[in-house]
Amino acid sequence: MALTKRTRDLIRITATYVVLAGCFVFFIMPMIWIIYSSFRGSDAIFSGKVFTPLSGFTLDHYKTILSVTDFPLFFLNSLRIAFLVSVIAVSSSILGAYGLSRFHIPRRNTILTAIFSTQMFPKILMILPLYTIIVAFSMLDTTIGIVLAQLILVLPFAVWMLKGYFDNLPSELEDAARVDGCNVFQTLFRIIIPIAAPGILVAAFYSFVVSWGDYLIVSVIAQSQRTATLPLVLQRLSSALNIRWGQVAAATVMTIVPTILLFSLVNRWLVSGMTAGAVKE
Amino acid sequence: MTSVHISRKHIGLLLLLPTLVIMAAFTLFPLLEGLRLSLTNMNLLRETSQFIGLSNFAKLLTDDIFWISLYHSVLLTTVAVVLQLILGLVVATALKQELPGVRFMRSIIMASWVIPVVATVVMFRFMSQPDYGFINIIFRLLGAKNLNSYWFGNLNAALPMIIIMHLWRNIPFYAIAFMAAMQAIPEDQYDAAHIDGAGPWKTFTNVTLPGIRGMIIVMVTIHVLWTFNNFDFVYIATGGGPVNATDILPVYVYRQTWSNYTVGYGASIGVVMLLILLVYFVIYIRIYERKSR
Repeated sequence: MALTKRTRDLIRITATYVVLAGCFVFFIMPMIWIIYSSFRGSDAIFSGKVFTPLSGFTLDHYKTILSVTDFPLFFLNSLRIAFLVSVIAVSSSILGAYGLSRFHIPRRNTILTAIFSTQMFPKILMILPLYTIIVAFSMLDTTIGIVLAQLILVLPFAVWMLKGYFDNLPSELEDAARVDGCNVFQTLFRIIIPIAAPGILVAAFYSFVVSWGDYLIVSVIAQSQRTATLPLVLQRLSSALNIRWGQVAAATVMTIVPTILLFSLVNRWLVSGMTAGAVKE
Repeated sequence: MTSVHISRKHIGLLLLLPTLVIMAAFTLFPLLEGLRLSLTNMNLLRETSQFIGLSNFAKLLTDDIFWISLYHSVLLTTVAVVLQLILGLVVATALKQELPGVRFMRSIIMASWVIPVVATVVMFRFMSQPDYGFINIIFRLLGAKNLNSYWFGNLNAALPMIIIMHLWRNIPFYAIAFMAAMQAIPEDQYDAAHIDGAGPWKTFTNVTLPGIRGMIIVMVTIHVLWTFNNFDFVYIATGGGPVNATDILPVYVYRQTWSNYTVGYGASIGVVMLLILLVYFVIYIRIYERKSR
């Protein structure tokens, strides 16, 4: 019996590390490869070899991308748009989720299902009418036009996620606050938002990342350099006839680094926040 | 008491109002407008358009590229979601173990999920380049020199490459979500299974799977919707090519709308997508409600 347990443990440990090794190669190596390549000289990149002597490394690709192209401008565009999308989506979904979670709303479940079901709507079908609306409001090629259009990508999920998160919070503190004479907004700002901060942070992170990565909406509404974002630029750089992979790699790294940094900040709350809507009773 | 109740009722709706307004203007209206367009012959090159009933849908029946795209869309979604589910469970089981190094992998594995799709495509296209792409370098080191090719340009490999990118992006999300759900299963259920003499496989099917059933349903559902509707991966990686090897419905809608300017026809393809997902969603709601009952 002891032996079988030992054998079993050995199999378990071996299998775990085989899976982990596979995960590392499949999920992590592509990122390491592009980061590594962004520092290699073009000769090294096109040599078809894995290793490069130290002299073959360079910062030239970064220098070129940052000085010759308008990359810093596009970076700021992305930052501005993603920030605004996060702020608006989170503000709106905190209010909505709080209303759904704590107050009597007629046909609450129908509304919740309706909000969730918008995930199913093909964006590709809605993109032309969306474009028409943006044109009608004279918001084509403007930051606010892109922000408003991108909200539909994140709002349903943010509301659903935060509603689940709020449902799991104990309501005793709010009852106490109400007894003390706090109104709805005082309760929301003094009690709910502070204790729900991790969930709210995850909703903000989710909104930021989706906006930062959006290609379809930006490709239709951005018409010039004033509003073009990184995905658009990356797509253009990488579909050139003669692709300069060193520069493309550097641009890619600079595009993914902000999302990875934010990810490492919210990582420990990410799962519980994202799945709050799924694990409630 | 009644007046308090009524005012609280209004507060709920009031709080929800900003969300409802934004969604009505930028989700509901575009959807209804899309439905209307599918019944017209609107063309961006013409000033006016007429109501033509279901003619667009009749035309779809004989459009070969529509059928190829539909087939690819269903195939891509099915294969990607099934593989994500199975491999997600495998990785989740590994990530659940309390062994050295596992915690580290837990903390970095979801990185692939947070980076922009465009960046993912660029990384995979870069790795697929002939001669100097990482995939081809590895094949050469393994002695399979004759496999050297641009993988997205290969008729037989292009669609599998698209599926692989979906797997790359989403499996970690499945794995982490399943792992969290597995950790929430009470330990005494495992103890009980152990006392009953259940082996690892029996324990997995009788304790673990039922324990994370709700999470599985949610993950599969949102990924069916997201994968079926996903436009970016194919459009940016191949644009539907080579020939029509990776054409899927969203890309075909985009081409009809923005390249051929046949907006009405494009919209009718989008409506077919919506109908397919609607059928799926109704089934999902049935299952979900049965679960919560």
